[in-house]
This record gives sequence, C-alpha cells and structure tokens, in this order.
Amino acid sequence: MKKNGLILLLVMAICSVIFAGCGGGPKQQSSSSGAGAKGNKLVVYTSMKESLISSIVEGFKKKYPDIDVDYQSAGAGKLMAKIAAERQSGHILADVIWTSEVPDFYQMKKDGILEIYKSPVLKDLINPFDDYDGSFTAARLGTLGIAINTDKIKEPPTQWSDLLKPEYKGAFGIADPALSGTSYMSIALLQQKFGWDFFQQLHDNGARIGKGSGQVVDDTSSSELFASLAVDYITNSKIGKGAHMQLCYPPELLVVPSPVAIFKGSSNMDAAQKFVDYLLSQEAQALVAQQGTLPVRSDVDIPAKFHLPSPADAMKNAIKVNYTEILPQKEATIKQFTDILSKK
Amino acid sequence: MSSIKTKSSFGVAQVILFLSIAILVIVVAFPVLLILFNAFWVNDEFNFAGALEIIKEPQTFQALKNSLIIATGTTIGSTIVGTFFAWLVTRTDLPHKTFMKSMFLVPFMLPSFIGALAWKMLLSPNAGFINQFFIQHLGFTGPIFNIYSYIGISTVEVMYLFPFVFIQVCGALERMDPTLEESARISGAGLFTITRKITIPLVMPSILSGALLIMLYSMAHFGTVAVLGIENGIYNIPTLIYERIHQSGGSFDAIRTGTVLATVLVISAAIIIYAQRKILGSGHYQIIGGKSFRPMELKLRGLRMPLMIFCLAYIAFTIVLPTVVIFLVGSLKTYGLAFTFDNLSLDNYKFILFDYKVTRDAIFNSVTLGFTAAIITMFAGVMISYVIVKMKVRGKGILEFLGMLPFSVPGSVIALGVILAWSGQFGINLYNTVWIILVAYIARYMAFSLKANSAALEQVHDSLVEASRACGATMWQSLRDIVLPLVRPGMLAAFFLIFLPSLRELTVSIMLYAPTTRTIGVAIYTLNEDGETVISAALAGIALIIIILGQSVINHFTKKAGV
Repeated sequence: MKKNGLILLLVMAICSVIFAGCGGGPKQQSSSSGAGAKGNKLVVYTSMKESLISSIVEGFKKKYPDIDVDYQSAGAGKLMAKIAAERQSGHILADVIWTSEVPDFYQMKKDGILEIYKSPVLKDLINPFDDYDGSFTAARLGTLGIAINTDKIKEPPTQWSDLLKPEYKGAFGIADPALSGTSYMSIALLQQKFGWDFFQQLHDNGARIGKGSGQVVDDTSSSELFASLAVDYITNSKIGKGAHMQLCYPPELLVVPSPVAIFKGSSNMDAAQKFVDYLLSQEAQALVAQQGTLPVRSDVDIPAKFHLPSPADAMKNAIKVNYTEILPQKEATIKQFTDILSKK
Repeated sequence: MSSIKTKSSFGVAQVILFLSIAILVIVVAFPVLLILFNAFWVNDEFNFAGALEIIKEPQTFQALKNSLIIATGTTIGSTIVGTFFAWLVTRTDLPHKTFMKSMFLVPFMLPSFIGALAWKMLLSPNAGFINQFFIQHLGFTGPIFNIYSYIGISTVEVMYLFPFVFIQVCGALERMDPTLEESARISGAGLFTITRKITIPLVMPSILSGALLIMLYSMAHFGTVAVLGIENGIYNIPTLIYERIHQSGGSFDAIRTGTVLATVLVISAAIIIYAQRKILGSGHYQIIGGKSFRPMELKLRGLRMPLMIFCLAYIAFTIVLPTVVIFLVGSLKTYGLAFTFDNLSLDNYKFILFDYKVTRDAIFNSVTLGFTAAIITMFAGVMISYVIVKMKVRGKGILEFLGMLPFSVPGSVIALGVILAWSGQFGINLYNTVWIILVAYIARYMAFSLKANSAALEQVHDSLVEASRACGATMWQSLRDIVLPLVRPGMLAAFFLIFLPSLRELTVSIMLYAPTTRTIGVAIYTLNEDGETVISAALAGIALIIIILGQSVINHFTKKAGV
C-alpha cells in the first residue's frame, strides 16, 4: 500500500509539473499573439525590416493611444506559411498584412480572404495596380538598384549591362528568389525586359545566388560581394551606419510595390482600417521616405541624401508588369533562374 | 491481505509502466513511425519505387552524397585530432595538462553554428578577415582558404566535434592497465612495438565508438552546413529538408521528400548505433579495467615545449579567436567597417536586450522553453528510468527499446515527425505555436534524462532500501530519505543537460518556428540570413555569455552535489 502511495506521489509530481509547465506556456503566448483572439489587439504581419515597421507602429500608437497594436515581422514566405496554417485551424490571428510579395496578394484575393477596403486617402496615392479593386493597396514603392562596394568598384554602374564588365566578375550577387519576394519580382521584371539571355551572361560573368535580400547587401558592405541587386532601404540604412556602399539606379527601374491588406473577418475591423489609413497618410509615408524607400504619395519629401527618384518618375521609368500574367509562372521562373545561375 | 496488497501494487506498477510507454510512444515513437509511413505509403498503397525515385532526383542524391562526404571528412579529421590530443594529455609529460584537457572540452558547450558564423567572418573568400589580411599585407593575390567548401565545412565541424573522440580515448587511456605495457617493455619490446601491439588495439574500440558518434552527429548536422554550405550550393540532408519545408509553406510534396530523406537518416543512424554497440561490446574492452591506475608517461624531451605551444596555438586559433571575432563584430556599427575605436560600441547589445522585439522574444522563448522542457523531461525521465532499472514488470522490454529510440533519432527527423504528428491530422494542431517546439524538445532530450537518471538509479542498491525497511521505515520514508537524495544529483544533472543545450538549440526549432516563436538559435540564424550580421553576432555573443554562465552554475552545483 505504502509503495502505491509513493508511486502515486511520483505520478502526481509529474502531472503537477506538466500542468505548471502548461501554465507557464500560454502566458508567454498571450503576451505576443494570443491576445489577437480576444479582439482588442490589432495584429500586423509584415515583411518590412524592424527599423521601418517599428517607427510606423510607434507613430500609430501615438496617434491612437487606445488601440493596442502588435506586429510580427518575418520573411514573406514564413508569414504565408503561418497564415496557411491559421486558415486551416479556422482563424487568422493577423488583422493586417503588409509584405512585398505582390503575387501572394493576388493569390489571397483569389482565395477570398481579403477585405475590400478603399481608404478615404486613396485619391492622394500613386497606384501601381491597373486592376485595383480595394483588396489591397500599395503602401510603399520598393525600388531595387545595384549596390556597389565603393572600395572595390570605383566607377558606379549606369546600365544593367555594366554588370557584365570584368570588374564584377565572380562578385555580383542576387538574393535567392525562393527566399526573397522582392528578389523574385525583380528577376521576373528583368527577365521580361532583357530575357533569359541577360541572366546567362550574368552567369558567364560569375554572378552568384546569395541568401536573403538583406544578406547580399551585407555581403556587399563587407566586400564579400563587390555589387548586388539591392533593396533601397536595406542598403540606405547600412550606408547611414557608415557602410562603404552606394546605390545606383540604371534607367530601367525595378519598382516592387508593397501592398497592405486587411483580412476578411478581422475582429478589429475598425482599428485595422485606421491602421491602413494611417499607413497611407502623409505622416506615415514621411516615415517610409525617411527609411530610404519610396512613399506612395507625391506630397512627401524624400531626404536628398538617398538619391532616390521621385515616386512619379519611378512609376514612369519602371519596367511595366502584368501581375496576373506572371503569377502562375512563379515557380517556373525561380527554377529557370536557379538552373541558369547555378550551372557549373 | 497479503494477496490483495500484491495485486494492487501490481496494478499501480502496470499504470506506471503504461504511462511510461505512453509518453515514449506519443512523444518519440509515433512521430518517427509517421515519417516512415509517409515515406513509403502514398495514396493508401505501399510505394517503395516512389521513395527511390525521390532519392534519385539529382538534388536529393547530391544532398545524400554531400552528407556522406562531409561526415567522412569530419569523422577522419576529428578522430586524428581527438586521439592525438587525448594521447598528449594522458600519456605524456606535456606541461599544464589539466588546463589543456579542460580547454579541449570547451568546444562541447559552444554551439557549432555560432562557430561557423565566426569562421565565415574570418575566412569567407573576399571579406574574411584572415583572407583580407593575407591579400592586403602579405601580397597574396587570392584568398588563402575558402570556408564555403567541403573542406571548410568539415574543418569547422572537426573543431566542434572532436571532443567526442577526445573524451572516449582519454577515458580509455586513463583506465588502461599499465602492467600490460610494462610487461611488454620488460620482454624487450620497443616503444613502437608497444604502441602498435598493445596500446592501439586496447584503445581502438574507444576511438571507433567516438568516431561513429561523430559520423552520426555530422550526417545529421544542420548549423554548420546551413551557414557555410548553402551559399555555395552545398546542401546536406538536414539543410535540404529545411529548405524544402521552408519554401513549400507545408505542401505535401516537400514533406514527402523530407520524410524520404529523414528515413535515410534514421536508417544510417540505426546502422551506426548498431556498429557502435558491436564495437563497444567486443572483448578487447574488458582488459581496460574500472580501477584507476597511474599510467606511465612518455617523456617528450625536446618536443615538450613545441608541443605545448602547438596546443596553446590550437586553443587560441579554434576557441579564442572565433569568440573574440563574434564579440568584435557584434560591436561594429555595420558589417564591413574596420575595427577602429570609432566604429565599435555597445549599441547593438543594448538594442538586442532592450529594444529589439525579435531578440527579446527569442531570449524569453528559449529560456522558458528550455526550462519547461527540462523540468518535464527530468520527471518523465526519472519515472521511466525507475521502471527500467528498478521495477520488475512484464513488458519492460518494450520500454527498454523505446528508451533507446531518442538516442538514435536525429533532431531534424524529430522536427519533421512532430510536424506530421501535431499539425492537425490527428485532431491536435500545434503547428506554428510554441507547443510544437516544446514537444520536439522533450522528444529530443529524453535520451539525456534517461541516461542521467538511470545511471543515478543504478547506483542505488536495493539493499539500502531493504535495510531501511528492516529498520522499520515505511516504503515512503525510505524512498524519501534514501532513494530520492541519492537520485537527486542525477535529476539535477538531467535538468542541466537539457536546459543548457536547449538554450542554443537550432536544428529542431529552425524547422518549427513561427514569427512569434523564434528561439535564440533561430534568431541568430535568421538575422544572419537577413544580412543583419552585426546584430546576429551580438546576439551570438550574448548567447555565449548565457551558456558560459550556465555552465559555471552547473559546475558549481554538480560539485556541491558530489557528481
């Protein structure tokens, strides 16, 4: 009998610990994401880097102190995987999504999970989408240029074809399009403009596939790469910290919009709309411009130190694209690109 | 009365046995079985050819080959390095041997992917500090060493894995009966003959078993290859599984490729573990007794100082240098700047600890996950070990077999298994929550807990309990006053053996993390992938500090507990 008592005690100890453990866990969750279910906390999923999203969320909090807002920043692929899993379990924890992977937004629109919302500030915005219907709205115009390491490349490139020169041999990098949405979009744009031939020539000149869109820039800063296909604000933030880099724009501009959208059935619809309005407002767009990337408004000053084109010019010179056309070819494009550049 | 008593205790024993089996089945066996099932079972029919097809795909086949190439290189390198240093610190008159020995064990607690990061900074072809130094100051035209290569990856893995061989061989050399060598010497054998005919055959099982452990570890190793290989298109099995799962957003094709690759890992692991047991069980080992002898020391004479300098240089180059680089780069404003006073500051560390949500969350997640996993696994381990070691019930054999499983299942396999088991197909969906990482940690670290707890329980002889019972103590009293205090060091050891590694865990959590549930390892890895090299290095530095502090606390505790 007494032996039983001991064993029982052991079992109880285990159970109590397991329960204690369970008690500890949810607490940590509710502090970050769990509260979204309660319906009073606005949750934003975004692929924008920390510096950009945190300044905008801070600004929003200042303007609407009553609205509790939280954000999760991660790569677009990771966010979409999370959303897919959440859809399966029946409830998307996020209210707002803001990434640079335009094809994802067309897909989500097709799946019918985006709320139609036409912000009252719409008339002031530059709209890159011909088939705009309010499902998603561009909240930033990302540009991609050639970031060069100024210690290694003395003469800034002016044309895309400059990348085929010998000084870039073996030292030009493009982020892996499977990891980076902007990288995929820019490859699709360049392919449309110059054909696969251009990538073949890049490969012949030793161009490399890097990892994420941030890493190729960091590798350029460290001179591991002499130049890379680089996202504007990532490059500009590192230049701001003293990196020996310069961002150069060939005339055929790569402009990749970052759309923002609200999920259908969001329990914070009002707050979500307020957030989108704020994001598109002059105040928030000025924050966007201060990070060294293009706002979607013409009435925002872009600091001159970034040498960015004005949004209107950018749209004019941008390589035109039909999103609905390239959407189904995404995997094929990535595969062909990888095949060409990793050929031995 | 007596019959009732036996019956009821038998019932409770069965309950405990059942509980133990249930824990192991649910946490470990079920996910692994699901992998095998998904690899060969498609659309309700057995499909071996399909699995073979996947293996034959160029990319998968290349990954298999790479795993083998890297593991072979790492194993050979680590065996040579580990055996040589073990011999130096046990059988020669090398100065400062104790210090050297403890330094050679340091790589054990350093996460190898942080090491890989450091070596990337030091030896990447164009920007690596060492390569730059050679090019700029010594007139070299190209990099002296490219870390993004098979040799680079293997070399880095050797630095962090050789202690597996080192420990085994040290143990064997220390415990070896010196009279065997002495008698050979008396019979007129020279040093070379003694080494060849006596020492090496005696130590061989330890060398081989250490080498096999390294083989197993390296085949399934994620971090180093992920940091140094992907850049150059070198994938091994775990990195390819990760890449596929990561890109797919959960599509079945990717999962299936993953399961087939994981099956290959499980089979190789099984073969390796089997071979290791065979070798350890072979007769040679018996001659190495449990008693402690003082083996004769070889006089190094003129080589004494050069070898000591060599050892110190090795320690400086493989342990001190990478650590220093991590901290220095972590203090830079942005990667690529020179290490001048102007460019260095503590801002990154401040940012990580106080301002950056991602890293703050990651530190919090890792600590709570590690703590919870360690507590649960510690208690479950005591219970299961108790059944295995002390209880005499039917069906114990199954438990012993299940208890073996966690030892042999690599981390990426466990991660894939828990995705299959806990993402909704069986009614519970933990995917993208912190719980799935917890479940995976428990599965992964159960082996440590079982090992520590059974070792402790085996030392508690039944006669102690019998003696206390004979003196009139109740069963509960004798357990509380005798067994528990004796087992406590084992439990404590189990707790720390789990808590510390889980703080730097990467292989499992990288497959399971969601935006809210990054661990420290994941945060360091993704920050590096995002090109935030300086932030990533700073977090790695903080992780190193936490790990070293933790290790000191453990050393303090275990000394006090007398382990």
